[in-house]
Amino acid sequence: MMPRCRPVLEPRGVRVREHAADRVAAVHRCADVLEELGAVHPAYREAMLDREWAMSTYVGEGVAIPHGLDRSRALVRRDSLAVLRFPDGVEWDGATVTVCVAIAARGDGHVALLSALARILLDPLRAKGLREATDPAEIVGMLNAEDEP
Amino acid sequence: MSSIEGERIRKLVVACDAGMGSSVMLAGQLRRELRKLPVTVEHHPVAAIPPDADVVLCQAGLAERARAGAPGSVVVGFRMFLGDPAVARVVAAVKQGGVVVGTTGN
Repeated sequence: MMPRCRPVLEPRGVRVREHAADRVAAVHRCADVLEELGAVHPAYREAMLDREWAMSTYVGEGVAIPHGLDRSRALVRRDSLAVLRFPDGVEWDGATVTVCVAIAARGDGHVALLSALARILLDPLRAKGLREATDPAEIVGMLNAEDEP
Repeated sequence: MSSIEGERIRKLVVACDAGMGSSVMLAGQLRRELRKLPVTVEHHPVAAIPPDADVVLCQAGLAERARAGAPGSVVVGFRMFLGDPAVARVVAAVKQGGVVVGTTGN
């Protein structure tokens, strides 16, 4: 049997109705989902919290990208993303975050999706579309969109 | 190094702590903006910047570590992942010529 190659982002890695009292609680939820997906060792959670504390992962347009540290790469089982949407917003070091794109990476499997995310965030209309999307399959589609020539 | 002419830039490195999140996003963006030019854009952890990097872009808070790890590169710190003027200046220098000056302090 051929080994099945799991995609970096799957609809079950997208949660559209999350709630978190603060930034720490939101990062914990991101770690929960990455663990549920089997993407990371439970100790990856600490690295995510350390990284967030050292420097905010806020990237703009209401989006943060919580992830681990260089030393926590070994705790990643496979390159995976999870998308958590917090409709009520989470206070994030002076900004308000509506969407977390949580990253677990030991290689470069997630690079194309993060490039797609950057392109979305550079276009205010598409960024709004991402913040307001409530269908996991649609969100997966947005982040898997091919680069236009 | 403290400055470099835009036309001499062949390798741009975006560095962050892990080299898996923010630097990946910015590198993807720059690769796209500069894809018609003879410039390589890579992303690396700040502790592993390749010695042939002409310019290193990193979050302002990491600039000191980047300067220590890449003494032969011009280090430019930025604060925003989207639309930071320091990043825009580097892109403009590569595209149209001009001098890229490294940032000092944090």
